Amino acid sequence: MATTKLAFIVKSLPYKTEASRLALTHAIASQTVEIYLEDGDLVEPLLAFVGDGVLNCLRNQKAMQHYGITSLEQHLKNALLLDLRVLICKEDVERFGLSEDALIMDAEDIGGETRASIAPFNEIMKEMDSSDHLLFF
Amino acid sequence: MAKLTIGVFSSLVGSLSLDFAVKLSEAAIKKGHSVDFWLSGNATMLSKKGQRSFKDYSALQRSIQDLLTTGKFQITACEACAEARGFHKEDTLEGCKRHSMDWYLASCFSAERVLHIGGD
Amino acid sequence: MKLGVLVSDFRNVDDTLSRLRADKLGVILVSNGVYHAAATQNGKKSSILEKSPHLYVLSEDLQSRGFSEKEIDNRVKSITYSDLVDLIFTEYEKIIWI
Repeated sequence: MATTKLAFIVKSLPYKTEASRLALTHAIASQTVEIYLEDGDLVEPLLAFVGDGVLNCLRNQKAMQHYGITSLEQHLKNALLLDLRVLICKEDVERFGLSEDALIMDAEDIGGETRASIAPFNEIMKEMDSSDHLLFF
Repeated sequence: MAKLTIGVFSSLVGSLSLDFAVKLSEAAIKKGHSVDFWLSGNATMLSKKGQRSFKDYSALQRSIQDLLTTGKFQITACEACAEARGFHKEDTLEGCKRHSMDWYLASCFSAERVLHIGGD
Repeated sequence: MKLGVLVSDFRNVDDTLSRLRADKLGVILVSNGVYHAAATQNGKKSSILEKSPHLYVLSEDLQSRGFSEKEIDNRVKSITYSDLVDLIFTEYEKIIWI
């Protein structure tokens, strides 16, 4: 039985490119990866938003209304609903002058129990250190 | 030897990042390693057969076919990303598989090294 | 950790690179990242060259862009794809592309 930790580090802004959306959908795919693995083997994802990437976490995204696509907000809520660990870089949140109220911190409205955490970059760096592989988006 | 998993999301022709990934794969295989090559996003264009080779455009179909003959190279395209772009199963390059995103994660599980190249 | 960073851009990489911490940080200039090794602006070299003592540039990408090995900063080692494979498997535990 082995666990591989994958850190999905999102630094891209949403919508102009699909990079951050693909980060989320790939991280969420960890829920079904077991079909390819031996019994007991796991892939443990971590999602971390850094740099401009923290702007993926803003509330009130109306992408569905205007472009007919699932918003990053909804993808992030899905990730939280599935109990993925989500870290949002504290220094970058402060740099953009954002409060926690402006960010998607939970998925309670769709029945999720896991909350995102605003974490200092040092903590995110420690997570990268302890991960087996890093995927920067 | 060891396995390198490369995930590429960059466009075919529109970006040389895919070419980089293919050349890196060639170099790794020459050294006796194996490579899993995951195509997602715009990179799924590379999974489409019938690519024509012109001097002014990078052409990777032949390189992919050559890599497949080594037996040390697997190439898989994200099925959803391909279908969203109108690439269907019957359009897929011979030897190229199609799976959902969990395939990439499974490949990362058993890889010694993972290089994820975001889209351009 | 030993982290190899493939720098593929000439712009907008400094912020990310500056924040990364590793026991050994390798900066591997590929694609448009090779300009860090060879181009100067207002007579100044790229600040990326100060980020690590382990600096490499992919020779094929350098030459594709009209530079020769003679024109690169002497702190940077020119490597081939084959050398890059060796770096990936023997010198660095994790590799990222920015």
